[in-house]
Amino acid sequence: MKKNSRRRFGKWRQEASAWLIMLPGIILFAFFLWAPLLQSVRMSLYQTKNIELTNFIGFDNYISVFKKSDFLQALRNTFSYTLWSLLIGFLIPIFMALAIGETVRGKGFIRTASYIPNILPGLAAVLLWSAFFSAEKSGVINILLAKLGIDRMAFLSQEHMVIPIIVLIATWKGAGATALIYMAGLAGVNPELYEAATIDGAGIWKRIRHITLPAIFNLGSTLLILQIISIFQIMYEPMVLTKGGPDNASLSLMLLMWRYAFGGRMEFGKAAAMGVIISLILLVFTGLYTIVNRRKTEWE
Amino acid sequence: MSGARTGVIRDFDSKTAGVKIGLVFVYLVCAVIVLISLFPIFWVFMAGFKDLKEYMSSTAIIPRALDFSRYTKTWNQLNITNNYLNSLYHAAGSVVCALIFNGLLAYGLAILKPRGYKAVSSLVMLSLLLPATISIVPLFMNIQNLKLGGFFIPLWMAAGANAFFVVLFRQFFEAFPPSIIEASRIDGCSPLQTFYKIVMPLSKPICVVVTIYAINGAWSDFLLPYLVLGNGKWQTVMVRLFIFSTQQTINYDDLMRSVVFSMIPPIVLFFLFQKQLTENIVMSGIKG
Repeated sequence: MKKNSRRRFGKWRQEASAWLIMLPGIILFAFFLWAPLLQSVRMSLYQTKNIELTNFIGFDNYISVFKKSDFLQALRNTFSYTLWSLLIGFLIPIFMALAIGETVRGKGFIRTASYIPNILPGLAAVLLWSAFFSAEKSGVINILLAKLGIDRMAFLSQEHMVIPIIVLIATWKGAGATALIYMAGLAGVNPELYEAATIDGAGIWKRIRHITLPAIFNLGSTLLILQIISIFQIMYEPMVLTKGGPDNASLSLMLLMWRYAFGGRMEFGKAAAMGVIISLILLVFTGLYTIVNRRKTEWE
Repeated sequence: MSGARTGVIRDFDSKTAGVKIGLVFVYLVCAVIVLISLFPIFWVFMAGFKDLKEYMSSTAIIPRALDFSRYTKTWNQLNITNNYLNSLYHAAGSVVCALIFNGLLAYGLAILKPRGYKAVSSLVMLSLLLPATISIVPLFMNIQNLKLGGFFIPLWMAAGANAFFVVLFRQFFEAFPPSIIEASRIDGCSPLQTFYKIVMPLSKPICVVVTIYAINGAWSDFLLPYLVLGNGKWQTVMVRLFIFSTQQTINYDDLMRSVVFSMIPPIVLFFLFQKQLTENIVMSGIKG
């Protein structure tokens, strides 16, 4: 009897010390991530003055955010970013992984070279590319086009070009690292599969179709949703490159949020409302991600 | 560096003309990949050797002279040494916090598993997908209200709340054989002692990876650092570059040289720890 209660006490102590060990981390997560998320909801319902909440105004922040034309523009742009990133950002790493996977000599070098843009500071990469796309005489893309006899152009002032260009820049930075994940997935394909398929008379194209692409598709569905989630939060690229212009053509939802808060207007309540709207959309994507992931673990 | 073919084309494929052309095409594609990846970086290093007049007027990639004094002049004029030191402090504190706090949390989630740990686990996973920037407004207000602005403390602490690091640690800890933990418990180690005497020393590979990511993250981040440090004396390289880039009148040659300054440490870090980084991406299937 006594032994039993001591064991129960020991068990209780074990649990308590485990929670104590996790506590510092939990407090930090609460301070930096979880509490601000909930505070955003509360703050979005209040009128704010500087960094203080003054009075409860219900959904007024949301209504005034929705009413301004830049919201619809930002929403449309953000989906446009996502769409372009599906076209460019999703397929390029797959092609890269396929091509690099076929090489033998120089494979390590090619892999390293394509990974390097990923380690550069994001801000430095964006500034570097803004020099490339510059409309000045020094703009590298214009210099290259001039060699082909094409007239100089102000790429970043073209409303219909600015989003694809920003997506290209983001892809330049991230594609090498994503390709590495695909290559790892492809290296995990059982070599006997290829041999068996060849014995059964499958040529190279058939093997790509029936072995390689299914293996990629398995990984791809997860990476795709992660990519959608990350491109949906695009902010500093247009902020630095175009300030959301020309004429709000590259304004994203996150950038609009930043503008409300730190663009000189200090409308923190409206910024919080924007944050809540973006979070809600992202939660839907996150739900999709969990479903896909769960299905995948069931298959394995 | 020649080995067995590991792609779709295998060694047992006969070397027909079609296969050979295919391989030539593959290497052409790879050459383009390497060129596009490296050329912009090479270009900006070269552009840094030009003065403003040459930068704005010359269409040649290679500068007229490889004059390092232009780099040193910009460095001294903008007093970059100071910003470098600040970035170093930022990174050092971030590494310590990243290792201790994320490591302890992952240790709880992967090994101790007290009752109810799953709730924390799913909250951490949610944070992986909804990062801090979304709620940066209330976070900024909290930091202001606690009078923590102006110095690195909130930035260091933020490195201790990184869901990505927790996941990395956790994956590593979960692969431990339970017998090691059990043996240490029987030897009379408390859970905390087990952590720093057994678990961490056995986790050097993942600690190296988290350290590199934490350094690179601290070095590259500029949104929260901009809000916390602003124009104050603890301004880091990236905050400086961010403020510099938003000014109305910029000398583009100085800007390009500052971009180079900001890229050098991550590149050096990458070449020192290239193997650990790429291996980790391959193993864990996530990138930083």
